[in-house]
Amino acid sequence: MKQQLTSAEASLQTRTQTKQDLFNRFGGMLLGYISEVVKNNQVAEQYLVDVFNQLQFSDIQDITKPGINTFVYLQAIVRKKLAVFTSSIDGYANTGKPKTFIIKGNKFVDLMNPDQQQVFCEIYYHGKTVTNLAAELNKTEAAIRELLREAFILIRSNR
Amino acid sequence: MVQQQYIDSGILETYVMGSASDEEVKELMYMKATYPEVCFALQQLEIDMEHIARHMAVTPPVCTWDKISDTIDELMVRPVNDLKKNQTDRADRDFSNFNKGSQYIVVEAESNHIRVHKIWRWILAAIFLLGKIFLGFAIYFYLENKQAKQQLKELKTELRQIKK
Repeated sequence: MKQQLTSAEASLQTRTQTKQDLFNRFGGMLLGYISEVVKNNQVAEQYLVDVFNQLQFSDIQDITKPGINTFVYLQAIVRKKLAVFTSSIDGYANTGKPKTFIIKGNKFVDLMNPDQQQVFCEIYYHGKTVTNLAAELNKTEAAIRELLREAFILIRSNR
Repeated sequence: MVQQQYIDSGILETYVMGSASDEEVKELMYMKATYPEVCFALQQLEIDMEHIARHMAVTPPVCTWDKISDTIDELMVRPVNDLKKNQTDRADRDFSNFNKGSQYIVVEAESNHIRVHKIWRWILAAIFLLGKIFLGFAIYFYLENKQAKQQLKELKTELRQIKK
């Protein structure tokens, strides 16, 4: 019985170690992303802590499989958690027109034209769907996707 | 080509940014499995996403990992606390929490040993000792019997010689 308890503890330590490795590799990148969304360092840190606390070992096994980009999947988890926060932001407050959420001081975003910046930031940082954004900006979904594609071409050519 | 048109449609970018619809995701998974070009394009976009995030990375405060590991440590420590609490409860003959299963860890025992009463030690020692005594008697009577047979044989020989 004692042996089984010891092996359970060892397993928990391994899991902790795996989680810490993920934190060391991606914690800063995720915190930077969350900070841009919530615009508050303490709140951003709390979101990061919550995400790592809720990360199950099965999730870690899934997102660290060979051929899977671990960061993109971790970011998807973060995005899901932030969905409540982003949906609570009133994009039409006071003015009746959509508020724009363009990130300043980002090397890649600064390279984009205003339309590309708007589409990229609304989707990347504020989790808007292509359909919703197309309706808000009075554009077709294909046009939104094209702007997004152009934004990625710029990012890749300058990375 | 179909796959190039698909790559140029912007659906891959939508997917990596998490704003693709369920139908688009399903279609993308099919295209990814069917066309290596789509799979490669998707991997490149994922690398782009990492680059964007790395560029905007913020080093977490030193205590951030401690906040995460504290929660994990609590999970490791909790069963020990519960065990102590249960022991105290038993000492007080307070069984009010006995049926609260969440406070107990169900651990399946897999030992190959059995536990017996201490008296069996003396019983087994007595059996061993009696066994030795019986063995001693058996050897003694066997030798006695052999010796008696030998003497009988000698007496018979003497008796035959006297008769002659």
